Amino acid sequence: MSALLEQLTRRQLLWRGNNQQTAYQAVATGYAELDQQLAGGFPATGLIDIQTAFGIGELRLLLPYLQQQQQHSARLLVLISPLAQPSADMLAAAGINLAQLVIISPKNNKEALWAAEQCLQSGCASAVLLWQTPIKLAQARRLQLAAEHGQASLVIFRRPHLGLSLPVNLSIKLTAHPQGLQLTVLKRKGGWPTSPFLLRMHSRWPQLCLNSQAWQTERKVG
Amino acid sequence: MLYLYLQFPALQLESLTSETTVKLPIAVVDEKHQIVQCNKQATELGIKLGMQLGTAAALCPNLQLIPYQIDAQQQALQSVAQQLYQVSSDIALDPPSGLYLRLCNMLALYQGINGYWQAVTAELALLPYQYFYATGGTPFIAKCLARLQLNSVSDNVSSSFEIVKRSPLNATELDTDIQQQLTRLGIHNLGQLLNLATAELARRFDSRLLNYLGQLRGDFYHALNYIQPQQGFSRYLELLYDITDTKGLTAPLSSLLTQLEQQLTRANARCHQLQISLFFRAKPALLLEVGSAQAESSAKRWLTLCQHHLERLMLPEPVTGLKLKVHSFTRPQQLNDDLFQPQQGNVSALQLVATLQAKLGNAAVTGLNLENQHWPELASSQHSPLMSANQQIAALTLRPAFLLAKPLPLNETIEINSGPERLCQDGWQLHAQRDYFVGRSKTGQWLWLYRTPEQRWFVQGLFS
Repeated sequence: MSALLEQLTRRQLLWRGNNQQTAYQAVATGYAELDQQLAGGFPATGLIDIQTAFGIGELRLLLPYLQQQQQHSARLLVLISPLAQPSADMLAAAGINLAQLVIISPKNNKEALWAAEQCLQSGCASAVLLWQTPIKLAQARRLQLAAEHGQASLVIFRRPHLGLSLPVNLSIKLTAHPQGLQLTVLKRKGGWPTSPFLLRMHSRWPQLCLNSQAWQTERKVG
Repeated sequence: MLYLYLQFPALQLESLTSETTVKLPIAVVDEKHQIVQCNKQATELGIKLGMQLGTAAALCPNLQLIPYQIDAQQQALQSVAQQLYQVSSDIALDPPSGLYLRLCNMLALYQGINGYWQAVTAELALLPYQYFYATGGTPFIAKCLARLQLNSVSDNVSSSFEIVKRSPLNATELDTDIQQQLTRLGIHNLGQLLNLATAELARRFDSRLLNYLGQLRGDFYHALNYIQPQQGFSRYLELLYDITDTKGLTAPLSSLLTQLEQQLTRANARCHQLQISLFFRAKPALLLEVGSAQAESSAKRWLTLCQHHLERLMLPEPVTGLKLKVHSFTRPQQLNDDLFQPQQGNVSALQLVATLQAKLGNAAVTGLNLENQHWPELASSQHSPLMSANQQIAALTLRPAFLLAKPLPLNETIEINSGPERLCQDGWQLHAQRDYFVGRSKTGQWLWLYRTPEQRWFVQGLFS
């Protein structure tokens, strides 16, 4: 029996409850309540899967993390196939060094994945953001290995309920909320999934949160 | 004064084919149908230089023929000279097949003729060419002895002069009509000619003979055009067979890149850009520019970059020739790697960008720059990546993360949260002013909207 256990452990098919702390190195997210929920923060390396709609605040959630990742090692931040032209004002205001930013607009999925792997493997990128690229299980594993090799993290933005669960360090699902974001941890290496909780963004982004006292108008156009 | 002359009897032939791969007899024929160069296999079958083509074909029916090309010959000679320039300073070309090397300056450096000759032979061993050599007190003595295939070097000028006196007239530079005239007079070698009084010769012969004799003796000044080292690198490779597949180009390209690497290593230099020309039979040549932001010298790195470029290429026709050209070399950069950082990959950011650009195209990889502009369309500019950004400009607050390429008319219910912020383009043109608002759609997207003076609403960006 113990031989079987040993074999399973060696093939990494068995997870032990007592090696929780070694799952990954965490980087503070910049939101105290999220740090608490994630036991420290986002993983510094490996894949992060974010299931989200476009434009609800997913990048705002990551900006403090990306800024830290970039500043800590003075390495590149790479955006692969962003859905629209990123604005320099917003990124610079968030403290991101634009000289260390590379935007890649590949023609197809294959090229996007190739570029992601090259960036992760090279060791000169600290974080790579990949938008709306369907990923297969084997490809995700390959990217995970590349990310571990290059000490980088890959953030994948996907639509909710799209595709399989991937072998990632962290998988979260975001839904829009007037006060900020509703966040569900679907999967976390060395941790448990959480029930949905609200992440208030009012302190960081007062203009991008609705609150009851503020001046409000509804307007129908068209 | 001491000169060395090197003669390469089969330069064009050996530049095209290599001894190890070709087992057939090959000869080079000029336009008068005379054999001017032949390889060892052909010599063994009885082919001699100067033989008529008909005779040669009768002796050896499977003789392979190559037309004599003065350009190819000249190019090969030039490349030999450039190679030798690494060890010897004064080299003059003697087309079509010889090189003069002036030794007197170099002997002090190499501590005598033996050390010098060792360095030269080591350099020549890298090349596939066979050669004959000799030394002499004047360029013409050295050349005459090399033509006689003396194949010895010495710094004894008088002994070489004694040997040259015994040389027959056909080893000299004299034109055939003068040689015939001299033979009719009973003069068969140089010694007899040199014994005659100059005044007597001047009465019978024109200035060509007198000039030659004066330069041979060293009485007249012999002007030589010493070569300058070439800037950059340029090599042409004729393919032995046509290549239709871009993958097949790897092998010939890698041999050219290895030559480039050798030259770059010797010069302690790197290069930023390669130009590869692919030649076809009918279509005009195709020029491919391969660049690397971090200057490279390694043939392996260049080959991977070239392969990425070639993968994207459709060959219109089979390739018959390849040319690799580098315009200028640069000094190697000092890269300061952090000693205490954890071990990262062995690729620098510039190398990564070069790889990405090679595979995806230059336009697909960009950087982002902040401009000193309040107008949203002009605030961000895309440029080539890793350029140092303008740090002084303060970023405007509350701008969306993504700007749409073209503002879209608004056609849904929006909850306005903040605004307006009135923006006007230069000159305060009132008809172009926009009132910007931040709004939230029913699905929870945060939009950046504007209202024109005509009360029309557009979405310009998304807060992500």
